[in-house]
Amino acid sequence: MYFPYFITYMAVGFVISLVVFLWAIKNGQFKDQKRARFLPLEDELEPSVAKVSTFKRYEVYTLLFLALAGLAASGAVLVFSLLNANI
Amino acid sequence: MTTNATSALPTYMTAKGFCLTSGFWMMVATFMGLLGATELIAPDLTENIGWLVFGRVRPIHVNLVLFGFVTPGLLSSAFYYVPRLLRTELYSEKLGVITVLAWNFALVTVVVSLAMGYSQGREYAEMIWPIDMLIVLAFTLVFINLIMTVAQRKEPILYVSVWYVCAGIVLTAVTFSLGNVIWKPNSGSLVGIPDAILLWFYGHNVFGLLLTPLSAGVAYYVIPRACRAPLYSHTLSLFGFWSLLVVYTHIGTHHLLQVPVPTWLKVISIVDSVAMVIPVMAFLINIWYTAKGKLGEIHADIGAKFVFTGTIMYFFVSIQGSMMALPDVQRVTHFNNWVVAHAHVGVLGFAGMISLGGLYYILPRITGKPLYSRFLADFQYWLILIGVIGFTVVLTIVGLIQGNAWLNGETVYRILPEMHVYYVTRASIGLIIFSSAILGLYNILRSIFFNPGEIS
Repeated sequence: MYFPYFITYMAVGFVISLVVFLWAIKNGQFKDQKRARFLPLEDELEPSVAKVSTFKRYEVYTLLFLALAGLAASGAVLVFSLLNANI
Repeated sequence: MTTNATSALPTYMTAKGFCLTSGFWMMVATFMGLLGATELIAPDLTENIGWLVFGRVRPIHVNLVLFGFVTPGLLSSAFYYVPRLLRTELYSEKLGVITVLAWNFALVTVVVSLAMGYSQGREYAEMIWPIDMLIVLAFTLVFINLIMTVAQRKEPILYVSVWYVCAGIVLTAVTFSLGNVIWKPNSGSLVGIPDAILLWFYGHNVFGLLLTPLSAGVAYYVIPRACRAPLYSHTLSLFGFWSLLVVYTHIGTHHLLQVPVPTWLKVISIVDSVAMVIPVMAFLINIWYTAKGKLGEIHADIGAKFVFTGTIMYFFVSIQGSMMALPDVQRVTHFNNWVVAHAHVGVLGFAGMISLGGLYYILPRITGKPLYSRFLADFQYWLILIGVIGFTVVLTIVGLIQGNAWLNGETVYRILPEMHVYYVTRASIGLIIFSSAILGLYNILRSIFFNPGEIS
């Protein structure tokens, strides 16, 4: 009998989420969203640690290549697995 | 109850404690991973050393990565940014330090008990009941400190990072308690399929509802600050947060598509797994648009560099995860090393990268001095990046070999020679990651205790 545990799990999560959501609406958490965007920046800002010009282009290209290679590999293996799944 | 009431500046003792915790246990956890990978190519390596057999080393590795390395790293950032975003002080640094000590005590008991063979034998939930309770206690202490900080805030609006970290702690407390069946201390489990269902709600959600929200919280704080630009859209970030709660909580059963659980439960898990695209893209669009045209600033800050790379890994692992929940894909990709590759992209590439990024971002700010060595941090970054890509490629290939063999009814021992070279490569990559952990711990120790840098 799995239902009591499963329903308990979902019910606890649902009730907590609903209570907090209603609190957020009542408390005005969804208002003034434009100001909220700036909240991390309202702290004092440290001086710039490095100039933008020190940006190493080759490092970006390498990162891009690795990212694209990862994407291509993931895509290739997905296609491969689908072709071989005897669907 | 503010510890810092008498001092002008916060001490950040809790954040420092979690930094050290993360750095140290990353080293131990990755060593266990390396040891386990080596045992797969040399099974006699630890012959007759009972506490180091693969069956004990593997759960130690997994649980230490989860609770020893990644979560404390993410919490160290949270204990820094939550008070700052709320324009207040941490509720109690003293309670925070006690939490760090309790957390580390729990980790020691995890290692000792699992090495001694005390295990519940449930994947990701191996710890026995007393240790489960210690972990629940540690999470409760974290929650009390954070929620009381929220209660005493001077800033009325809760920034999305605060939402994420508070939700992550609450959801994990619920998930952990239910998933570990803590109301049955003797077994820590139910019986049969109901236990499998409950376990995999825990097994997936301990990543999805702990590491993901904590990582998102760090990214939402670090990226705007590093770019010196406001968040692209706070409304979109809240949409992503609430949709994550709705969608992510139900997907655990996609680990059980090939076993006799009710079909309706499988359907829910598959639909919600695919629907994960919504919160994931809401998060990524927001972060990437915030960083648009600011890659130079991200590159200039080693913490932001780790974090931003983590978001790219999040894209990969999430798209992969949605695809892997499809039954036809899973017939090849499940029950083999494909899943191990997926887990490494998620836990090391996404959450681990962001954990280290947050840690390196806050270190200069909590010590008041520059990071001890930017070079070491950069070196660690590249070692981990190469390691994650390597793990992904190698383990994905092995997974496909295993998956196709399984599908075609091939005998297991006939494919072992085919897999061997990849397992050797995997252990080599494990060595790279372990080396990077040592460098990281050294850098953290020097940054906190023996830092010759000028006080800013």
